[in-house]
Amino acid sequence: MQNGDAVVEMTNVRKEYSDSIALDGLSLTVRAGEAVAVMGPSGSGKSTLLNMIAGLDRPTSGSVVVHGSDLGVLDETGLALFRRRGIGMIFQFFNLLDDLSALDNVALAAQLTGTASGQARKRALELFGELGITHRKNVYPAQLSGGERQRVAVARALMNRPALLLADEPTGALDSRSGEQVMDLLLDLNQIGQTLLLVTHDERLATRCATRLIEVVDGRIAREHSMERA
Amino acid sequence: MNPVWHAAWAAVRRRKLQTIVIGVVVCAASATLVMALGLLEASAAPFDRAFATQQGAHLAVAFDPEKVSEADLTRAAGHAEASAGPFLQATVDTSTGDVFLGTLTVAGRADPGGPVDRVSVWQGRWATSPGEIVLNRTPGAVGRMDVGFRISLPGRPALTVVGFAHSVTGSADAWVTPEQATALQPTALQMLYRFAHAGTAAEVDAGQAAVTAGLPADAVLGTLSHLTVKDKATSELGVFIPFLMIFGVLGLVVAVLIVANVVSGAVVAGLRHIGMLKAIGFTPNQVMAVYLVMVSIPAVTGCALGTVAGNLVGKRIVQDAVEGFGVDELSFAPWVNVVAALGMPVLVASAALVPALRARRLPAARAISAGTTSRTGRALRIQRWLSGTRLPRPVSLGLGMPFARTGRSALTLASVVLGVMTVTLAAGVTMSMTAYNNAVRPTDTDRVELLAGPPLGAPVMTQPGVEPPAAKLSDAQDESMLRSLPGTTAVLATTQLNTEVAGGTQEARIVFHRGDTAALGPRVLTGHWPDGPGQVVVPSRFLNQRGLSVGDTITVQARGNRTQVKIVGVVLTNNADQIFADWSTVDVLAPGARASSYLVRMAPGTDRAAYTAAVSSGDPGLRVLPPRDGTSSTAVIIISAALVLTLVLGAVAALGVFNTVVLNARERRRDLGMLKSIGMTPRQVTVLLVTSMGALGVVGGLIGVPIGVAVHRLVVAAMAHAGQSDAIDILLDVYHASALALLALTGIVIAVLGALVPARGAARLSIATVLHNE
Repeated sequence: MQNGDAVVEMTNVRKEYSDSIALDGLSLTVRAGEAVAVMGPSGSGKSTLLNMIAGLDRPTSGSVVVHGSDLGVLDETGLALFRRRGIGMIFQFFNLLDDLSALDNVALAAQLTGTASGQARKRALELFGELGITHRKNVYPAQLSGGERQRVAVARALMNRPALLLADEPTGALDSRSGEQVMDLLLDLNQIGQTLLLVTHDERLATRCATRLIEVVDGRIAREHSMERA
Repeated sequence: MNPVWHAAWAAVRRRKLQTIVIGVVVCAASATLVMALGLLEASAAPFDRAFATQQGAHLAVAFDPEKVSEADLTRAAGHAEASAGPFLQATVDTSTGDVFLGTLTVAGRADPGGPVDRVSVWQGRWATSPGEIVLNRTPGAVGRMDVGFRISLPGRPALTVVGFAHSVTGSADAWVTPEQATALQPTALQMLYRFAHAGTAAEVDAGQAAVTAGLPADAVLGTLSHLTVKDKATSELGVFIPFLMIFGVLGLVVAVLIVANVVSGAVVAGLRHIGMLKAIGFTPNQVMAVYLVMVSIPAVTGCALGTVAGNLVGKRIVQDAVEGFGVDELSFAPWVNVVAALGMPVLVASAALVPALRARRLPAARAISAGTTSRTGRALRIQRWLSGTRLPRPVSLGLGMPFARTGRSALTLASVVLGVMTVTLAAGVTMSMTAYNNAVRPTDTDRVELLAGPPLGAPVMTQPGVEPPAAKLSDAQDESMLRSLPGTTAVLATTQLNTEVAGGTQEARIVFHRGDTAALGPRVLTGHWPDGPGQVVVPSRFLNQRGLSVGDTITVQARGNRTQVKIVGVVLTNNADQIFADWSTVDVLAPGARASSYLVRMAPGTDRAAYTAAVSSGDPGLRVLPPRDGTSSTAVIIISAALVLTLVLGAVAALGVFNTVVLNARERRRDLGMLKSIGMTPRQVTVLLVTSMGALGVVGGLIGVPIGVAVHRLVVAAMAHAGQSDAIDILLDVYHASALALLALTGIVIAVLGALVPARGAARLSIATVLHNE
């Protein structure tokens, strides 16, 4: 995929829950190489937006097309296969498996695609090297600092070389120093061509990493503007 | 509303699945408990229960009416604690009638009740007018007979069977009205006594001495002690007792295990909730109370339903097993229901108390973080090792799961082991019963049984309006004719004779065999088949009941002839009063007797209808019997009970697995959500969770099968012992390699069946909800 090609195309996406409307006819296009930050108050629908793109949730109406795949027509297994190859996800609370070492957590993502264990570990080690956490490869998540956990989570997200990296409040659970490190990491990734979509409350993260800022209010895009990185 | 009740009720409503699981498990466990306790109680003393229910007679005495008057008997009976009678007693020989029922002792009784020997009428009604008769039969043991048939005897009034009743003391073979008894030419007066002390033969003798004191010494024609009746009943039906007891114990253990697993799991899974309650101001005691109330609500409901269900289902099983003792209206003792109704909630509360106390002591911050902290040690090492294997990741992750919660896994494993053990035991008992049944009552379709005439000294049983068999050819001609028929491969000629065995208390039937005994005779277990005159083979029960052994010589007497015969072997047959001899011995006891029946084995592929037509053409006097129904009611009851108990205990074991997977999936929901977020398919999540239990199923199978086999050997040996038989190879060696392999798989079946539903539920987990619930 070349820079400028549409990676995500959301058209008139509406998501209703029993007692509320999370997304109200939202349309959005994300192009390859972009770093899009989605901001907005709590309950504005930004996490729902992320879930729609990741195939974690289905729209009530409208369409979500990622890498040319209409997620609305995929069944659960199809969505799982899409997530394996098509996207990488980073969560606020890391979501690492406590029972697996840092290296095994990362290798796991590749093993699910059928990659042999040895090859998966080799690729994970490369990422650990790039992220500067090789010395922590055999440590369990509980023994890692917040920043280290998020780096492991980023490594896992990048394991299958996804065209789109989704991050949900990636610095939300980190102290300021660890947060800075993760921001640098995301910036570096985008600068080498990784498409990013960030959901965040953190203005500093948005202004530092994003090339475009979208503000969501009441399930709609209220404002949208390109950014000059700080 | 009380905050504790409020919080507990809210938790019950919110955690619907947990509430349902606890309710269903406690319901099943309570039903199992009622059934188990009922089985244990019933198996403890079924004869005694029936005897107590019927106020059975400790002693039945037949008096000579020529020597003693009814008034004398009534007066003398004052020395007994209670008495019934005198009843007129007649002996009716049905061998000359159209329906052969043997020689009947018939008593004239106006009603079945009274202070002693309260006869239980279980089908039809009591005889209320002349011409009516009630037969003494144990419930369910009437075969194809039904009320309404008539017994016509030359020179006697015809009697219509209006009911079947059972007297546990066996005071008579049949009952009629006193007026009818007079018409049957009574020969004795029957008295039935209960004594204050009758536990030993000496006490019964003392009681007899008291009630016959002052009466002429030769007035007593015969006596029957309840101890003699009990010995006979327990030897025939006591085979049930070890079987019932082991299933009772198994049910009890499974019930306790499952409840402990489910309830403690529910509390552990709620640790985080406990921390939150503490954080908002609940005192430790209040928190503990919330949890006890929370599990008690479904537990009490489940217990109530389970107790009712246990009574409904359990009674039926136990009833089938003990009705041979004459317990026709079984009701579980009140303590069974009290123990289940109170004991199960106490068990639930106890199981919840330990983890609740732990939670009570836990600081709020730690309780809140429970379930998210890392597990260390062995579980991690095993998971790391599994990560390095070539197994698919969902499988290796699943295999590592049981090590994360070793206590829960151990309880789950224990229930799987018990489930497998139950299945193994039940399968073994079923195979033993089937093997035994096939050996003693072959149902081979390649055999034809023919009646040539009545056995020596007795008429053959016939149906009204049907000509009795009467061979037209001589014995030798019949045998020769049968051997010459196309398709005949073996012929066995037999006749039988009732004999008295000197020194014994009972009569025995001697069966004479001629022809192909090796092919068609009973299986010889030890020794050899008689190969000359004066030799017999007997069943092991015959030896055990009389204290004899192979090599001993006994004296038999029949039709005025008396001879000594040597026991040369033991044969496999169920009748304790049947002995087998070679045809050469028939000349000693009944010279010139002919075969009363023939058993023929046909070659494979022989058309049965054509063959029997050929037989009838050869000798129209031969009666071709329909194929024998080899099913034993005892075997059917044991196999049915084993099947039901296995299904119940297997289902309860699977429920334990179900609960474990529910708890594991709830604890691991964040992990499962994350795995799905990085591309694990719902099928792979299902595989992961099912594998985690499948591993326990494999281990459970490997442990449960050998234990089940060992318990089977003990139970079957005890059953054989109770039946005064020997635990022979045919009963014990029933497990073949293929059967063992299949039985080991039942562990996986229990585990997979229990895990599948919650695993599929977990696979459908909404990732978005799970991962944003932090």
